[in-house]
Amino acid sequence: MRQLKSAWRRHPVVLTAFLLACAVFVFFAVRMTFAALYWADPARQNQTLEGWMTPGYVARSWDVPRETVLTWLGDAAPTGGRKTLAQIAQDTGVPLAQIIDQLHDALSAQKPPE
Amino acid sequence: MIDTILSLVPVYGGYIVALATFLSCLALPIPSSLIMLTAGAFVASGDLGAVSTAGLAFAGAVAGDHVGYAIGRRGAGLLHRLGPKPRAMIGKARGLLDRHGGAAVFLSRWLFSPLGPYVNLVTGAAPMPWLRFALWDALGEGVWVALYLGLGYAFGSQIEAVAELAANFSGILAAGAVALGLGLWLRALLRADHRKRGRRRI
Repeated sequence: MRQLKSAWRRHPVVLTAFLLACAVFVFFAVRMTFAALYWADPARQNQTLEGWMTPGYVARSWDVPRETVLTWLGDAAPTGGRKTLAQIAQDTGVPLAQIIDQLHDALSAQKPPE
Repeated sequence: MIDTILSLVPVYGGYIVALATFLSCLALPIPSSLIMLTAGAFVASGDLGAVSTAGLAFAGAVAGDHVGYAIGRRGAGLLHRLGPKPRAMIGKARGLLDRHGGAAVFLSRWLFSPLGPYVNLVTGAAPMPWLRFALWDALGEGVWVALYLGLGYAFGSQIEAVAELAANFSGILAAGAVALGLGLWLRALLRADHRKRGRRRI
């Protein structure tokens, strides 16, 4: 304790910086623990479809062949280059929610939840 | 916010990755790790080319680091205007850099990546010989690109999870390194105080 008081008197800046760094360390450690617990839940593992995903990403996420996902998209399937689901929605005029539901139904039928 | 970033990667591909890595090496608050992980995931999903993405990411990061170094080099002139005590500190820092500078540059590319941009400025100001900086920088960034693209590739189906964990882990390491450094410095200062007090009693 005496050392701490002496340190505070003689080197306040270094001590404060040190304590701050320790606090930041603890902050990230706690945050990481919460994140790990949150994501460990297997229910979260099968990602819900989002607009930023591409058909290829969806395929890998749900472990189905890419061609299958493209088939499910039907007319909306992108012809060339990579497109996100949001872009596909924009290009075809089909609402994103509809595309997502369509894909989700097809995926769930293929892989029933355990 | 994260969704916007995640959608930029497949839309603009390797170029947004290069831009992100470049800007983040200049201490701008760009979530480059998240972007790299996402890019890795999109390489796995077949939407991005592995070699082109890695190459662009590497080029952006190295370019950013060299700009940081150059800025440090330019700013070094200002250091001469400081008083004797700061200059003594700078002399000590230079000594440290001479002995461990390569490791500092290398490790701050990927292990303590939040500290990277500041290491760029300090090594430029010291100055560390450019070639030495360039070598360790290239090696370190190579590890960083491989590590983050690799993680994104491996965990491509859980990008948000990996991104969050990686960001927190990165914070833990960087804060830990700073805390350790400051702790050791504090201990050295207290020891020096103790010695001075001892001498006075005699």
